[in-house]
Amino acid sequence: MRSSSYSVMPARTLRALVVLALAAGAAVTAPTAHAETTAPALAAKPYMGWSSWSMQSSKYPGLNPEGDYSYLTEANVLKQAGALAAKLKKYGYEYVNIDAGWWMDKAWKSGFDEYGRQKPDPTRFPRGMKAVADDLHAKGLKAGIYLPAGLEKGAYGDGKTPIWNAEGCTTADIVYDDLRTTNGWDSSYKLDFAKPCTAKYIDSQARLIADWGYDFLKLDGVGPGSGKSGDQYDNVADVAAWNRAIAATGRPIHLELSWSLDIGHAPDWKKYSQGWRLDTDVECYCNTLVSWENSVDDRWDDTPAWTRHAGPGGWNDLDSLDVGNGEMDGLTKAERQSYATLWAIAKSPLYTGDDLTRLDSYGLSLLTNREVIAVDQGPNPPAHPVTPSDPQQVWAAKNADGTYTVALFNLADKPASVTADWSTLGFTGKATVRDLWNHENLGTYRNRITEALPAHGSRLFTVTPHGTTLRWTGIEAESPSNTLSGNASVADCSACSGGKKVGNLYVGGKLTVNGVVAPKAGTYQIKVAYVSGDARSVTVSANGGTGTAHKFPATGDWGTVSSVYVPVTLKAGTNTVSFDSGTGYAPDIDRIDVPQS
Amino acid sequence: MTPEPSRRDLLALAATTGVLTGLPTYTAGAAPDRPDSLPYQGSSDTTLWWQAPADEHSMIEQGLPVGNGRLGALASNDPGRELLLVTDATMWTGGRNDTLDADGQFPYGRADFGSFTLLARLTVDLPDHDLSAVNGYRRTLDLARGVVTTSYVRSGVTYRREIFASHPDDVIVLHFTQSGGGRYTGSVTLEGTHGEGETAVSFGAAFPNGLRYGAAVKAYGSGGRVAVRGTRIDFSGCRDLTVLVSGGTNYAPDAQAGYRAPALDPEKLARAKVRDAAAHSADVLLRTHVADHHALFGQLDLSLGPSTAEQRSLDTWERLKARARDGVPDPELEAQYLQFGRYVMIAGSRDSLPLGLQGLWLDGNDPDWMGDYHTDINIQMNYWMADRAGLARSFDALTDYCLAQLPSWTDLTRRLFDDPRNRYRNSTGKNAGWTVAISTNPYGGGGWWWHPAGNAWLCNSLWEHYEFTGSRTHLEKIYPLLKGACEFWEARLLTTTLPGTAREVLIADSDWSPEHGPLDAKGITYAQELVWALFGNYCVAAAELKRDSGFAATVAGLRKRLHLPQVSPKTGWLEEWMSPDNLGETTHRHLSPLVGLFPGDRIRPDSSPSDLVAGATALLTARGMESFGWANAWRSLCWARLKNAENAYRLVVNNLRPSSDGSNGTAFNLFDIYEVDKGRGIFQIDANFGTPAAMIEMLLYSRPGHIELLPALPGAWAASGSVTGVGARGGFVVDLRWRDGIPIEARIRSVGGRTTTVAFGGTSRTVTLRPGASVTLKDFAR
Repeated sequence: MRSSSYSVMPARTLRALVVLALAAGAAVTAPTAHAETTAPALAAKPYMGWSSWSMQSSKYPGLNPEGDYSYLTEANVLKQAGALAAKLKKYGYEYVNIDAGWWMDKAWKSGFDEYGRQKPDPTRFPRGMKAVADDLHAKGLKAGIYLPAGLEKGAYGDGKTPIWNAEGCTTADIVYDDLRTTNGWDSSYKLDFAKPCTAKYIDSQARLIADWGYDFLKLDGVGPGSGKSGDQYDNVADVAAWNRAIAATGRPIHLELSWSLDIGHAPDWKKYSQGWRLDTDVECYCNTLVSWENSVDDRWDDTPAWTRHAGPGGWNDLDSLDVGNGEMDGLTKAERQSYATLWAIAKSPLYTGDDLTRLDSYGLSLLTNREVIAVDQGPNPPAHPVTPSDPQQVWAAKNADGTYTVALFNLADKPASVTADWSTLGFTGKATVRDLWNHENLGTYRNRITEALPAHGSRLFTVTPHGTTLRWTGIEAESPSNTLSGNASVADCSACSGGKKVGNLYVGGKLTVNGVVAPKAGTYQIKVAYVSGDARSVTVSANGGTGTAHKFPATGDWGTVSSVYVPVTLKAGTNTVSFDSGTGYAPDIDRIDVPQS
Repeated sequence: MTPEPSRRDLLALAATTGVLTGLPTYTAGAAPDRPDSLPYQGSSDTTLWWQAPADEHSMIEQGLPVGNGRLGALASNDPGRELLLVTDATMWTGGRNDTLDADGQFPYGRADFGSFTLLARLTVDLPDHDLSAVNGYRRTLDLARGVVTTSYVRSGVTYRREIFASHPDDVIVLHFTQSGGGRYTGSVTLEGTHGEGETAVSFGAAFPNGLRYGAAVKAYGSGGRVAVRGTRIDFSGCRDLTVLVSGGTNYAPDAQAGYRAPALDPEKLARAKVRDAAAHSADVLLRTHVADHHALFGQLDLSLGPSTAEQRSLDTWERLKARARDGVPDPELEAQYLQFGRYVMIAGSRDSLPLGLQGLWLDGNDPDWMGDYHTDINIQMNYWMADRAGLARSFDALTDYCLAQLPSWTDLTRRLFDDPRNRYRNSTGKNAGWTVAISTNPYGGGGWWWHPAGNAWLCNSLWEHYEFTGSRTHLEKIYPLLKGACEFWEARLLTTTLPGTAREVLIADSDWSPEHGPLDAKGITYAQELVWALFGNYCVAAAELKRDSGFAATVAGLRKRLHLPQVSPKTGWLEEWMSPDNLGETTHRHLSPLVGLFPGDRIRPDSSPSDLVAGATALLTARGMESFGWANAWRSLCWARLKNAENAYRLVVNNLRPSSDGSNGTAFNLFDIYEVDKGRGIFQIDANFGTPAAMIEMLLYSRPGHIELLPALPGAWAASGSVTGVGARGGFVVDLRWRDGIPIEARIRSVGGRTTTVAFGGTSRTVTLRPGASVTLKDFAR
């Protein structure tokens, strides 16, 4: 969550800070791949369920009649749980997650117990939190709860508040002497884990929620991330303490981290938690639950850098999936389908923030499409963009059975056709296509499929290849036969093929790859391996043509290589392909590969 | 201030100017010819295609235009929701607008001057055909048949729809069919866009200016049910469905009648039109339409050489993007762009008002600059293509418009032009004839500022149509316009002595070289050139018609004394303001000082003094190659006149750049977009005609008595090509084939012309023909 009482910066500013944080972390080495040998006990698959925050945060008429965030009450939670159990549970939705405010009164004033732990607000939760969890379990559901990182200022109590089950420890013994603050809103004092009492406080919180019977904890405002960077906002130790504390309770509790986590610390998040929000709140804090521009659409830009970090045991959390009621969501049908498509192919947790008592028929069809849910919950890897982050995008994943999950997106504000070229999947010839949203086999397509997409629209297919594997010819960017102009220069890059790349492509910097051989004239999808800590544009042209500017998605840092496919029209024989930074900053180029069959 | 003229005054004015007023624009038509079979099947050469529809927020860039010359629409072709934004060329707010502002200029608002505005919205909802649920979506615009088609597959059924605007039946037809056992279930909604309230089958209303308008819809299908339900027409289980729309206003091109046909009830007429059309099957309506449309469209065939198979495989939008991205010529696409301009002209300029800034097509009620008639380049450019491109008939709307406005323009000039607050009034103290404002509406009114030389430019355009067609009827029609414009200039010209000489010359009074530089400059090149041409044209007209010999002699005398613009010794450019200094922006969009190079031909590379040609060339060079739509088109025309083929071609290619996020260039639907502010592009149709005009001017230059073949043929088109039906001034039509940049064969047909030279390279032949006769010339050499 990012409630108004905590937040001091608008979302846009926060995101700008995250970008700075990423730049600062540019030297971080690439983490090793997630290597799970056995299925983890928790988050073997992205979790599915419902969260209270979207409705709490909305100004949609009638949702929060007693003031901001007042939707959160036992009655409302159980009402939503009832609807979840009746309509969605059989599709895999099981978590009911209580978000921020369970320990706050309607004026958003916090309550704490005698040990400085959050205390249920008696108006919102008159029977306390355990009773709610018990009721959820009785419906066959799982119970989720929420806490902010650090020691909340209101829990400090002049430093004399005792810590539960920690002889001689008080709140003064767990924070820094200068009472430095932490978390995304500076609403807590930063915990000093060098002090022996500190972990005991986390243990006491964990014990409490375990005793209540909760199965899930969202730890919010975690840094680096949540719009903050620097030592003061480094909560890795908090997260590690939570990991240990949860384990000590003996109760399997899923730990989810929020928000806009620093990708440079992805190894930490993976080590200690089961999921991490990679972006700011999806909610718009407006008259609907969300809006396309603020900030559903950001996920297409922000997800690709994280894709390689997702896997069993820990997933990229794209935030609530609010597609169940078009009028309340504030989205068109096309936008709702695209929203659900991205979440599914990214293998994000699927938790809706909708009013489950008021799902419209289209919303219900989106949330209960078993073929799409299977993309999210199945064994295959998350999809990543195979074309640049232009308004028309293709994302794909190669599945274990040799098929591909392929999503087409049109992020433009007007209709457009989008083509998935089989060569970007690595083969040529025929393939059969199944339309997952519409439950239809579309037949056989040669070399590509093109579909008309509405503004902000999408399609989701399973593509089964029946063609032949493409052969490629690669040329390294650093090849001495290429032409570098402007600032462009060759640089070392351990992750790059050949150990080198061409960088400094900025303000006139240009790489021209010479000797690009095409077997016959035509438009080719050339594969471009590149490195780019942030999303950057480059104009790609062939044989001195004007070219087209494409925005390559961020690879996450300046040591990680990714690739996209870019169309260029080549003549038979030898060609040149140029990467021109123009007036801006372009990605570093590792190599290109040209299809030869 | 002079009081309002009475109706009798206007009648008297009409009598003196000799204007014949026409029938009301919206009227019952004669029974058309109905062919027994489809007269033309269409061809991929003249069929544009796309793989995405428009939605209601992208209609101006993605909606496909249809029109019968008066009644038009942009169609979304969305499978689940077909949207037509329906327009009538006469759907205008505002009025005569004859009270000047405090600065002596015209008010320019939507209530006083008025605005072109939407007539209706038609939607056909097919709830099960959501775009996200259909496959293989494709839409086409068959330029030669004048039909928009849509096809897609939904659950194994192929659905098709055809949309066209029929001139013979005066309705827009939507025909929905399918193969594979599908059914149509949904609803049709017709709505006004001006708060008329909802209605199922027709509506009618009136604007505060008294203009009555109305529209009607009728739907019928087979195999299911079609029924009016509330404010919609619901249909269910139909194997096919036909929807007919008509509409119009009670506008009349008649100043004496206050531009109204008072007895006309547009709603009632619209209901009758859809009822009458519904007596015929959709196939019969289609055949009737195609016969009518193709008779016009087929007047010009064009090949600029072959494109590659790769280029042909791309849809029109991808092809535009590839053209810009790869920098490789796509001659078939370039020819299609020209033919699209011809299609739009047929659809937008026939038996009604002429094409304004957006032609017949709108996506909202309030178009930029009112969608009006701009007389300082835009309306002229709209009609440069017509005669050149085998669409002489389409020109008539401009002639009819000027004639219908003339009584009011004359009245406004007499009453208001010498208003002491008007900075452009005649300092001679005399006032005669007529002129216009920069903007004009269809009610005889002007908007924005006075535009003294606008009368001359309009007359010169009308005169060129006479040069192309040799039509004496046309000459008789336009003679009063020419004469009145000459009278205006006779009263306005000032005598001055050129500095450093004793020579007395005549110059134009204070004026603004269009939208550029000082507001009050005397002797601006723009006015000098236009008036010089006007006077010359008038003298020929008077001689041809054997009228007013005394006045013609006076005009000839004035013409001899007119100052003719010079080349600045300082800049080396042809002067714009009768000053050696550059008083404006070097790369300004307007080419007003080059109006003598194009469309005029006082500056002739083949016969003018070389320093004059060099000055014009230097000015054109300074103006640059990177402007937008119409400004690029005009530059291209000028470079074609200067026989610089590659510059002329590059400007055409610049206009073909795909527009994204409002950038200058060609939209998805091929409409030209002008980026008026960063990120905000608006549709301006002039480049859709000006660019094709430039392309033709590259293939053929003509002036009376002289035709030049392939004067500026770019390398991209040189290998091989052909064109038929190109109009040539002097009264000829030319068919031409070429190879390796050299004409193989040129057929010259007289449509009234007698003698002309036909030149290519260094050779020139003289051809003499009787009207209707033709000759084929061969054996050209470089």
